[in-house]
Amino acid sequence: MIAKSFNIVLLAVKQLTRHRIRSLLTILGVAAGMFLFATVETMQGSLRRATQTTADDTTLVVYRDNRFCPATSRLPEHYESTIRKIEGVREVIPIQIVVNNCGASLDIIAFRGVPPDSLTKYAPQIQVLDGTVESWKQRSDAALLGRHFAARRGLKVGDRFDAAGVVVHVAGIIDSPEPQDNNVAYVHLPFLQQASRAGLGVVTQFNVRVTSAERLDPVAKEIDEYFRSEQAPTRTRPEKAFFADTAQELVELVGFTRWLGLGAVAAVLGLVANAVLLVVRARVKENAVLQTLGFGQRAIALLVAVEGVLLGLAGGVLGVLSALAFLRWQSITIGNEGVTLAIMPDLDVVLRGLLTAFALGLLASLYPAWQAARRPIVSSLRAV
Amino acid sequence: MSSHESFIRCRGVTKTYHKGNTPVTPLSALDLDVPRGTFLALMGPSGSGKTTLLNLIAGIDSPTSGSLHVGGVDIAKLKRGQLTKWRASHVGYIFQLYHLVPILSAFENVELPLLLAPLSRKERHRQVQVALELVGLGDRSDHRPSELSGGQEQRVAIARAIVANPALLVADEPTGDLDRESATQILNLLRELVREHGKTIVMVTHDPRAAAVADTVLHLEKDRLVEAADLNMQAA
Repeated sequence: MIAKSFNIVLLAVKQLTRHRIRSLLTILGVAAGMFLFATVETMQGSLRRATQTTADDTTLVVYRDNRFCPATSRLPEHYESTIRKIEGVREVIPIQIVVNNCGASLDIIAFRGVPPDSLTKYAPQIQVLDGTVESWKQRSDAALLGRHFAARRGLKVGDRFDAAGVVVHVAGIIDSPEPQDNNVAYVHLPFLQQASRAGLGVVTQFNVRVTSAERLDPVAKEIDEYFRSEQAPTRTRPEKAFFADTAQELVELVGFTRWLGLGAVAAVLGLVANAVLLVVRARVKENAVLQTLGFGQRAIALLVAVEGVLLGLAGGVLGVLSALAFLRWQSITIGNEGVTLAIMPDLDVVLRGLLTAFALGLLASLYPAWQAARRPIVSSLRAV
Repeated sequence: MSSHESFIRCRGVTKTYHKGNTPVTPLSALDLDVPRGTFLALMGPSGSGKTTLLNLIAGIDSPTSGSLHVGGVDIAKLKRGQLTKWRASHVGYIFQLYHLVPILSAFENVELPLLLAPLSRKERHRQVQVALELVGLGDRSDHRPSELSGGQEQRVAIARAIVANPALLVADEPTGDLDRESATQILNLLRELVREHGKTIVMVTHDPRAAAVADTVLHLEKDRLVEAADLNMQAA
């Protein structure tokens, strides 16, 4: 059975080379559709990872109540000592964020100012690819750049650059499993407070680590309750909920792309179905000849279906891998209200893309396969 | 010859199909006996039912009524799937226009009927090579149909028909598209397959020269066999 199926697959591959241009055009069309599908899936997946809270998440973001942009969220830095005393709080890090654009943008530049000694607590996952953390600590205007940020701007260790009115010296390039870290510049908090004219003692937000996920809600409530009557009241949310709330426009925009993905899937389905139908109609007599040679209805249907699946898979591999290469090379980051969403493909997207391409190829060839298999031999042999 | 010894035995075979709303009956209550190892030529005007009879004997069509035994099997009673399996091992079909798959080499075309057979790749290739040698094209196995002459293409088609070693070969005007010399070579090859390899061949032809090579010539006139040209053949 396996050997027979393998022989049919080999025959289908040969048949596809029969009309090379037609097969190639179909594969390119499928690749274009699957490129779009994989890109949309990557955006959806990146958004999902950025906004869906998991059981391991223990970070809260304390932001100024009713403010959505870092430029307007101003909190006294001394809140840190008060927050630190709340039961269940493990770590508090004041952060100043400066961005070049609060609206939705594809070229967001975000500075994160953290106390120099707290960097490794705030982002323990970062790895320094070039330069050192020590040299960053020693120089007050030093910046550690996420690798995508550095690549996008063509920056390397020793360079100086100016953005959003802040001039920094590149002390290192970092890599992190957290996509956001790869798209920001870490600088000293006091430096950023002065350079951005926010002033010393003023921060954008506090990142608060709690002892366990169960403590997220109680600690958030307690923080907000404590500062409710202060001049700068707070709103505290889990980090991912903060992202989802703050970047609402971004979430809606990326959510809309789901329709583009569905459109791409429909286009691929139509394209493969059309190509396979043309193949079946052009080979009415040949399929009848194969049946006289002993090919049964199932074998004929399998031959047609395999051609459809091969077209779908070839286009799928090309499209998905192109999307993967494009997104990695471009390292696209969408920013909104100071938060950034890195559009990074992962293995899940690749597997889902290939599986979708396989399923579309199969689905598109079901009707043509059924049509080819059920035609009577004699009338097919008479077909012109 | 007794009908018990017939390789092909038709009794009361009728075939009716519809052209639009009009029923057409190319064969009506046909009786026919063909002994094993016979080269039978079927002649007759267009529309007389020659090809219909050939298709019924080859198992690619089924009679509307009657019984049709080939090699002891009543193929009229076989279902489509059973007929397919039966064809794969018992019949080789030779077409007027060869019907080779253009993208495949001569070797690959001949290999087609064996692709679904339970054979090892080595055994399959051996059988293909034997078939190609038999038709005199052992040295053309990697040529595609477009690189072969009409006569060579038909010889590849014959190799394809015999590669699974069927006892019965059916040929629908196998020389109709060939020049005189190529036609003669093909007919001699068919003759040799009967004489040397014991095949039974049923051939439809319009060409009296082709029919002359056969052991027996039958004429179909208005849905009936009207003439038996050989004493060993019993046609009613």
